[in-house]
This record gives sequence, structure tokens and C-alpha cells, in this order.
Amino acid sequence: MAANKRIMKELGEINTNPPPGCAIRLAKEDDINLWDVTMDGPQDSPYTGGKFHIQIVLPKEYPFKPPVLTFRTKIYHPNVTNDDKGAMCLGMLRADEWKPPNKIVDVLKLVRAVLAAPQPDDAVEAGIANEFKTDRKAFDKTAQDWVKKYAK
Amino acid sequence: MSRSHFSRSPRGNQDPTFTRTHSHSHSSSNPINTLGLPSPPPNGRRSSMGVEVRGMRRLEQRRNMEESHYLACNARAQNYNPPVDLRLLDYVSSYDNNLMCAICRCPFVDPVILNECDHCFCRACIRQCWNTNTTYTPLGPRGDCPTCRTPAKLGPRSATSKILVNLVDELIVQCPRKDDGCKAEVRRCEVQDHVNIYCGYTLIECTGKDCTDPVRRKDAAQSCLHYGASCLLCHKELQQWKLEAHWRSECPDRRVHCEMCKSPVFHRELEMHNKETCPAISTPCPGCSSRNKRGHAEAHAKSCTFAKLAPVLLRQQERLDEQEAAQKEMSRKLEVLEGGFTNMQGILFPSQEVENADRRSGDSNHIPYLRRSLVSPENADADAPTNDFAGFDWNFSAADVRHDGASSAETFQNGMASPPTRAAPAVPGPRPDDLPEPFSSDFDLASPPTFPPSGPYASPLHHLLSMHESLRDEMTRITSALSELDGRHSMQILNENLRTREEISYLAAQTAGLQRQMHWFTSAQLQRQQGRSPTPGASGSALGGAMMDAGAGAGVEAAVGAVSTAATALRGAARMVNVGGSASGVGMRRGTSEEGRTKL
Ligand SMILES: [Zn+2]
Ligand SMILES: [Zn+2]
Ligand SMILES: [Zn+2]
Ligand SMILES: [Zn+2]
Ligand SMILES: [Zn+2]
Ligand SMILES: [Zn+2]
Ligand SMILES: [Zn+2]
Repeated sequence: MAANKRIMKELGEINTNPPPGCAIRLAKEDDINLWDVTMDGPQDSPYTGGKFHIQIVLPKEYPFKPPVLTFRTKIYHPNVTNDDKGAMCLGMLRADEWKPPNKIVDVLKLVRAVLAAPQPDDAVEAGIANEFKTDRKAFDKTAQDWVKKYAK
Repeated sequence: MSRSHFSRSPRGNQDPTFTRTHSHSHSSSNPINTLGLPSPPPNGRRSSMGVEVRGMRRLEQRRNMEESHYLACNARAQNYNPPVDLRLLDYVSSYDNNLMCAICRCPFVDPVILNECDHCFCRACIRQCWNTNTTYTPLGPRGDCPTCRTPAKLGPRSATSKILVNLVDELIVQCPRKDDGCKAEVRRCEVQDHVNIYCGYTLIECTGKDCTDPVRRKDAAQSCLHYGASCLLCHKELQQWKLEAHWRSECPDRRVHCEMCKSPVFHRELEMHNKETCPAISTPCPGCSSRNKRGHAEAHAKSCTFAKLAPVLLRQQERLDEQEAAQKEMSRKLEVLEGGFTNMQGILFPSQEVENADRRSGDSNHIPYLRRSLVSPENADADAPTNDFAGFDWNFSAADVRHDGASSAETFQNGMASPPTRAAPAVPGPRPDDLPEPFSSDFDLASPPTFPPSGPYASPLHHLLSMHESLRDEMTRITSALSELDGRHSMQILNENLRTREEISYLAAQTAGLQRQMHWFTSAQLQRQQGRSPTPGASGSALGGAMMDAGAGAGVEAAVGAVSTAATALRGAARMVNVGGSASGVGMRRGTSEEGRTKL
């Protein structure tokens, strides 16, 4: 119950003062643990102009367990799994690094920062990370193509 | 008993706390009776202390009774009302963000300051974080600080500064039963007491006889409300004591106020009202770009010129779309035609294609087949519809001969620009009957009387060319069909031949058998005749037998002849089959074999 109260509070705060480039709503009206986020690709990144649909699942144990974040829009990024799940597990989102005081707003800010600056050393897609490190132009090109293809 | 005792006490009614408590004790005096009075102090002390002691005793008694009443109220209320979770309350007073727990995001509830790092959390929050409710740790609850991960342990309540505790306890909150109708706002430290003792919306045991159902405290003064009733509005059957809550938040026929237009609406019609009838919702004008509240939409529609024109505009838009679609179709067709034309050009004038490739680039009206081959000067001269046209043609050819692209294009365009010439070159090439000599004969042969569409790029030569092309196709098709037929034919013949040969060899074998038999017969006959001829006195019967023998011999001779004829015929047939196998028709050979059979 206290967890629900906290989630309600966070939802209220995030809707009155959303982080830049993000629009948040509940996926289903009666399920407070399932959030739909639409995030604009950050400027000066290959993802500019794209609209990315991110789903956040808040576990029952939230805030004691981290939220689970998945990209519903396909994205070419070293830190997002290139499958139908599109999972992103990074930094504070890891179970052993999650702290209960962290908020969803912080998570979304982190996601946007990682979109703007991928972290190839912490990658889940080794191939993409390698391309990012060795052939930045090709990486940018593919990422932009994917934005055109999937993230419009 | 106890009550009468206290009413006699001089200070009993003066104590405000007691009075308040007493006024709320109307529900039952039972707990006081069961708990009874505390046991009297030792006798020796009573005698020595005198009046003072008696006063102390009364004070003590009263305190005890108060406490027992409080506990009883608590216990009874808690049967129906779980303890208030302070983290779920709504706060009336604003509070500093520094008083907010990082985990539950509420003002601290029973705050704990971790000694090791000075971070502060609610006791329940940190216990939940460290999972101390489910796992036992012998050295007391410990874990890492949720904020900074410093290893820490849970200190006692006394370690927390009283100032902090007071700050959060003084915050004003709303009663947790505000949704049921309680409007009370109390200090947070008192909210549990409010719910347990004062809140009219807390459920307590019914005061009615033999009734243990819950009832709201404010209704408890009335007699038992646990009887069936039905809602006046929606006629739903329910118990009387639940009616108020029903009218407040459940009844579909209750009146609510629309948030937009403030008018009262039935709850079950609210959705429809919001969607369709609420005059405060704005709708777009069909004509202009303004939005108007539904209430003003009609007035606007009367004044707005665009709204009146809307249907007309709509129709115009539709027509425009149609036209656009048609135009798109046309331009696509034109593209295809142009592509075909370019191909033709390439086929007809491969050399010029190369020569003029760069010169032509900007000239879409270029008509290359007018050059040399078709438009010979005398032809144009003889048959030109207008002098202008003839001149134009002349110029054109001459320019072409000079390979002066720029001037040719110019002349051409000059020619095209004036209206009469524009009409004339609609079929710039000569008409069918004006065809130059070398083409006309061919053309007359092949072309149907309804020759070409009068499009600017159609010409007899194109027609011929395409016809030639199609003839070539036809030819190829026929050739392939022929070769296929041929193959099939020879295969058939081969099969038939094989079968016939088998038949013949079978017949030959039979004939040979017959021949052998005949041979045997004749030799037997001869032996008999030879054996009989030396006997001179031949009897009549012997003569008759000889006569018969002779008859038989003649029959046998005839049979032998027939067989040999058949054999000859067969041999002939076999020869024919062998020699003319592929050449002769199947039917004919079948005839032969049948002939052979009949001969047999
Ligand atoms: Zn807390
Ligand atoms: Zn700490
Ligand atoms: Zn209340
Ligand atoms: Zn009752
Ligand atoms: Zn009703
Ligand atoms: Zn309304
Ligand atoms: Zn209008």
C-alpha cells in the first residue's frame, strides 16, 4: 500500500513536471505498475527525430526492487538488446545497484543520457558496441536508418 | 457501580479529558466492569497517609479507568478498523522536502537516523528494505544504507531527535475516512485516536440487542440499523445502515455535478454527458478553424460564413481530389508512353542516338523520326498541308543534315509556337497514304484499314516494326510447336513399330508350327500310300479308303498352300514394316496386320 502511494506520488510529480522529451501515462488505467513512456530522441544524437516507446514495469516490491525497462520501439543501440524484448539494463537499473530512494524520473533521465551517449563498455550488444567504437559513421548511419524505419 | 462512584467524586466532572472520554463511552460500559477497580493498596499505608492517600488512590483509579476505556475502545474499533498507516495519509499542511523519507516519499513516520551516515528513513521503510521482518539477525537489524550503501544498524527510538519527531507529528492530515464523508483534519500523531475514538465514520459494534454487526459510530446512537431497506432511487436492496454510503458513492442514480458546466447530472449519465451533451465542451466549427463550446456552437454557425459554405467546400474538395487522382493517372500514362517512345528511337536510329544524346537532353518536343528516312523533301513538298509546315520540314531536315542541333531546335519551336502549325503537325509524320514508295507496298499489305491513333508519335513505320516484331514472335512460337509435334510423332511411330514386330514374330512362329504339322501329315500319308501300292489285289474298301485318302491329300495340299501364302504375306508385311516404319502411316500398317490375320 505504501508502495502504491509512492508510485501515485511519483506519477503525479512526473506528470506535472515531466523530464525533457518524455511523455508518461499509464498503459492501463487500473494498473499503476505499468507505465508507458514516449521519449523523443535526444538532439545531437543519431536518434534525433525518433519517437521511442518505452515500457516501464514497476515490480510489486518497488521501490525495493528496480523497475524493468523495455524499448517497445526497435532501436540500434549498444545498451539495448536487439530482440523483441528491447531490454535495457544499465547502471542504476541493475538489481545490485538499485537504491530504493531512486525515482523513475532519475531512471528516465539516465535513459535519455544513455541515448545521447551510448556506453559501449557496458553493452549488451557486443557487435553494435564494437561498431560504435571502431566505425562511428557506420553506427550513426544504421542508427538513423532504424529511426526512420521504426521510430517515426 | 464504578460510575456512581465517580459521579460522586468532586473532581471527576471537572476533568475535561475524562468528560470527553465519557461522552464517547455511550456504546457500552462493559469493559469497565470487567476490568474493575485496581486492588486496594496495603492497609498499613492507608492508615498512615490519611486523606492524601485517599486522593492518590482516586487519581490512580481514575487514570486506570481512563486507560482501560481507551484500550477497550481501541480494541473494539480495531476489530473493524485496521491501524492507520501514516504513510498513506493526505497531508493538509505543506512540509519541507527534508522531512520526506527517500523510500516512501512521505514525511517520516517513526524516523530513524542511521548513526553511521546520518541518513534518515521511516523505521518501517528501512526494515522493509533490509527485510528484517522475515529474517532474524542475532545482532539486531543491520544492512546497508539505502541511499549511500554505508553498512549500518538500526538504532533505538531514543536515538532520534525529539525535534524531528515533533516536526513530523505536528503536521495536519486529513482523516483516512475522508472518502466516506469525515471532514476532520487532525494532527498526525492524533489520527489514530481520531479514527479509534472520535471519527463518526469508524465502524463499531452495533448497540442493538444481540446484534454484532458493524455500524458507523455516528449511527450507533440510533437503534439497530441492520434491517433490509431499498434505495429510493435505484431500488437496490441493502441494509439501512449502508444507505448513506450507497448514496454517497455507489448509487448509479445519484446526482453528481459535471466538472465542466457545473450542472447536476445523474451519475450513470455522466459519461454520456461529458462526451455528447455537456455545453462546456468545445467542438470545432466545420468551416473555420475556431472551436466553440457546444452552447455557443449554434450561434456561431449562424454567423459564420464558412460554416454555411462548408458543404460546398466539402464537395469542391472532393472534386479536387478526384481531379488530382485522374491527373496522376494521366501523367503516369504519359511517362510510360515517353519511355516506349525513347526505346523506339533507340531502335530506329542507334547511331543518331549516340550523336544527339547530349544535344537532345533539354528538348522534349524532339521528333527524331522526321529526320531523313521518312520526310524526304519531295514528299513533304508534294503533300504539305500548309506552306508553313513545308518550310518547317525543310528547315528541319536541312538543319539536321548540318547537324546543327541548336538551330534545329529553334526552328522547330518557332514552328510549334504558331497556332496553325501547331494544329498541322499533330500528325507530323506523313499520313498512311503519303508513305514513301519503299514502305507503302509493305504497309498496305499488313495494316488494317483503321490505322494508327493520331497521337503525335504514331507512324506507319512504328506500326510495321511492331507488326514485324509480332510476326517474328509468331514464327518462333510455330517453330517450337512444330518441333515438339515432330518429336511426339516419331515417338508414337516407334512404339507402334515395336508392337507390330512382336505380333509378326508370333505369327511367324505359329506358321512354322503349322508347316511342321503339315509336313508330318504329308509324310505319314506318303508312307501309307507307299506301303499300300505294292499290294496288287486292292479291295473295294481299300479303294474307297484310297479315294478318301486322295481327298484328304488334296485338302492337305490346299492347306499347305494357304499356309505358305500366309507366310509370304507375313514376310511381306514384315518387310514393309521394316522398310517404311517411319514413313508409312499408322492406320495403313494396322490395315496390313489385319489383312495378315484374315489371311490366316
Ligand atoms: Zn518512509
Ligand atoms: Zn546513508
Ligand atoms: Zn474521521
Ligand atoms: Zn445492529
Ligand atoms: Zn441507489
Ligand atoms: Zn457538463
Ligand atoms: Zn466558424
